[in-house]
Amino acid sequence: MIDRRLIQEVDWVLLGLVLLHSLIGVFFIYSSSHFLAGDFYVRQLVWIGVSLIALVLVLVIDYKFFVSLSIYFYGLTVALLAVTLVFARFIAGTKSWITFGLMQFQPSELAKIVLILLFARLFAGYKSAYLTTQHTLFALSLAGVPLILIILQPDLGTAMTFLAIIGGAFVLAGLRKKAILFFLLAAILVGLGGWNFGMKDYQKRRLTTLVNPLHDPRGSGYQVIQSKIAIGAGGLTGKGFMKGSQSQLRFLPARHTDFIFSVIGEEAGFLGVFTVIVLYFFMLARMFLSVSKARDRAGVYIIFTAALLISFQFLVNILMIIGLFPVVGITLPFISYGGSSLLTNFVACGLVLNVKMRRFANV
Amino acid sequence: MPEINIYEDLSLVRRRANTVFWIVSAVIFLALSFYWKVQIVDHKKFSGLAEANRTRQRALAAPRGLILDRTGEILADNGASFKVSFIRENVKDMEVSLARVSRLLEIDGETLRARIEQYKDLQAFEPIVVKDGLSPRDVAPIESRRLEFPELVVDAEPRRFYPNGTLAAHVLGYLQERTPEEIRAEPDRAARAGEMVGKTGVERQYDDILKGVDGKIIEVVDSLGRVRAENARQNPVQGGNIVLTLDRRLQARAEEALEGREGVVVALDPASGEILALASFPTFDPNRFITRFTPTEWSQLTNDPLSPLENRAIRGLYAPGSIFKLVMSLGGLDFGYVTPETSVYCSGATQIYGAVRHCWFAPGHGSMNLSDAIKNSCNIYFYTLGRRMGVDLIALAAGRLGLGQKTGVDLTGEKEGLVPSSEWKTRTLKTPWYPGETISVAIGQGQLQVTPLQVAALTAMVAERGRRKRPHLFLSAPAGGKGVSADTEGAGAAAELPFKPSAFESVIAGMWRSVNDGGTGNGAFVEGLDVCGKTGSTQVVSRESAERLSRAGREIKTHSWFSGFAPRDNPRIVVTVLVEYGGGGGATAAPVARRIFELFKEIQDK
Repeated sequence: MIDRRLIQEVDWVLLGLVLLHSLIGVFFIYSSSHFLAGDFYVRQLVWIGVSLIALVLVLVIDYKFFVSLSIYFYGLTVALLAVTLVFARFIAGTKSWITFGLMQFQPSELAKIVLILLFARLFAGYKSAYLTTQHTLFALSLAGVPLILIILQPDLGTAMTFLAIIGGAFVLAGLRKKAILFFLLAAILVGLGGWNFGMKDYQKRRLTTLVNPLHDPRGSGYQVIQSKIAIGAGGLTGKGFMKGSQSQLRFLPARHTDFIFSVIGEEAGFLGVFTVIVLYFFMLARMFLSVSKARDRAGVYIIFTAALLISFQFLVNILMIIGLFPVVGITLPFISYGGSSLLTNFVACGLVLNVKMRRFANV
Repeated sequence: MPEINIYEDLSLVRRRANTVFWIVSAVIFLALSFYWKVQIVDHKKFSGLAEANRTRQRALAAPRGLILDRTGEILADNGASFKVSFIRENVKDMEVSLARVSRLLEIDGETLRARIEQYKDLQAFEPIVVKDGLSPRDVAPIESRRLEFPELVVDAEPRRFYPNGTLAAHVLGYLQERTPEEIRAEPDRAARAGEMVGKTGVERQYDDILKGVDGKIIEVVDSLGRVRAENARQNPVQGGNIVLTLDRRLQARAEEALEGREGVVVALDPASGEILALASFPTFDPNRFITRFTPTEWSQLTNDPLSPLENRAIRGLYAPGSIFKLVMSLGGLDFGYVTPETSVYCSGATQIYGAVRHCWFAPGHGSMNLSDAIKNSCNIYFYTLGRRMGVDLIALAAGRLGLGQKTGVDLTGEKEGLVPSSEWKTRTLKTPWYPGETISVAIGQGQLQVTPLQVAALTAMVAERGRRKRPHLFLSAPAGGKGVSADTEGAGAAAELPFKPSAFESVIAGMWRSVNDGGTGNGAFVEGLDVCGKTGSTQVVSRESAERLSRAGREIKTHSWFSGFAPRDNPRIVVTVLVEYGGGGGATAAPVARRIFELFKEIQDK
């Protein structure tokens, strides 16, 4: 089923880094949730196992097969998103979860992977140096359908991640300066329009509290204030594993999910933060630089958008918990608690490995 | 080479991907440097914030010192109770929270809101007491729902307890919560919200000794305000005890002897000024005020036309009536207007300044010397004396006996009373003094106003033949602390005696006869105690008390007085009784005094 040579070609270093981050995550999930019912660290371990299996399954099948099926995945995902929007109940203010029996799943996570494959398919044969308007509009309208469905949930974080992937793919395909200017202008217009007509009050508050968290210290500013206190109190060496007062005494919100990096900052200090960020840097570098190992254009797009997906979530997360970015509910890939997110990022990583191990045309 | 041809030329997209990667790297570096700033440069600041987050300082209320009577009986004790406080800092949505808390604690929503509004100036983390005086049973359901109510904290606190209920309520006073205004007025004082302080009586006068030193506790709390650990504790120091001059037995007897009539009984030791009993009726139960929330009961008490909260002994103003004849006699003798032998004929009425004045005894007392006049409380005799002396000398005599001035007793709110004089009248009423008014003053009516304690102090001065001791309640504070003692400071203070010793002996002779020789005071006679006394009945009702009276629906009767001491030589006790609307002093007040004298003799004989 799978060639010995292919196994040799698996980037074990990258996989090792992913697993290392996941284990770091388990430790700090334990530290920040051991006093809660639900054994989150055990569940996370189970999810890591599940995600690894998914990753292996992704490796077994040639990525070109996925790319060729991407348009069907796309249709399925759009349908799922639409179904979610109609049938899902509100969880934490959004309609992003869909329940299959005992399992809960976020179709919007799946949509990220599908988007990666879709763009690989769209641009696989695109050889000119710059995108034409026609191509741009076509790609935009394709990606726009799931994007709008996600915005309607509303899940601002995922929508932003989507935009990052779309933007990244366009940059790779070649955007002219005129187009960049156009997109910037459009972004500003959409932003202004959204602010005045589309955005919910809580989303506006998140933006205003970015400028001044003390404006609303008990409301949306609370999370950022507490998170900064936790990180700053960590100092150089941290307060020690399971000894951070901000996390252990629950001042920190969403400790094991969105704000897990604050727990690392508080309990492991700047040294811990430095270590994780540097490890992350190596992991991202390893992904991005794999671009040179891709056999074809579709492979380049897959590696690049997958790496960008993980980079974007990572950057937004570590910037938002320290108050440099609005709190948009984006988790820290591999480290934050959460099955859907873990699975998506493992699969994205699996795609990178898949492309990388099949770099030789004759296999 | 064919091999190369099977690969596309991907250099352009690879270059672009690399560029994006370098942008990502740059942002990572920026993020890292910002973490450096927060974690290394600003570490101290955030460390302090984290510490402030997790620790909470809580005041531990100091139990107040006990108040004891002279025999060591406890008059004011401490019990334990629980209070529920509200912490605004832990509230997410004020409206929702108020509604839930009001349901849980069964407090009216508006009352609760007003209560919290009242303390809006305090820091948000300061607990605001919203319910108190609870038993462990009462707080169990609140404790058990703690997780649902992060804004509530339940604390135990020492609670003042007056084991004898209403006994000596006016002396002890009561506690109330310090108002936010009082807290603001004393910014230096480490006050805690909801602190109970003495508002009247000894509780107020000696609050500094009684209050003790609050302790504090520094606790580690989680984000819901639940206590996780204790970091440091400074135990409260109980306030110092105070021993009062009161004798519980005499006090109880004094209250009992009033038999539910409005009035005052004061008993004191003339040699030292120590007050042995001080009863004022109607009274109240100070236990009722320990709680911070009794709006209905409180307004009932303050609006009661009979003013149960007022200490009539120091704040009730009454005409002294015939008691004032003691002042007249001393003044007349000392200033040379009469001698003990001076005789006046009483036919039951006489004409003075064109008006007919009656003696209270219509048939007339016949020929009377001073001693007879005091014994029978003859008005005609004192009309005559008053006319001779004139109002200003009467005022001088009254002033020497401490009337018109505070006695200096260690209770706040004492009133001065009023001794009219011609100078006083021109100054305040802008009209000259009419000689006819002097005649009313001579028998203790007119504008004269005294407090029962002033009368007791006056009687003590007579008993001590002119030596004055300040009446006081403070006997000792075993743990330290100064109180008012028997010094001669205050009203009537003078190095020399105000009147000749012989004048006192003459007056005392009349007082002795009043009780022991069939005079008006014989209702106070006690076998073997040699009681000397003087009765009084006030005929004039001031406008103020007339109004109060009509509000209370009473018919207007005279107030009855008795003031006396015993024994005649080396006096040990002074008893002053005032019964409002009691009728004649001999009939009503003297028997009340007798019951005090009897008990005193009993105690002394043991």
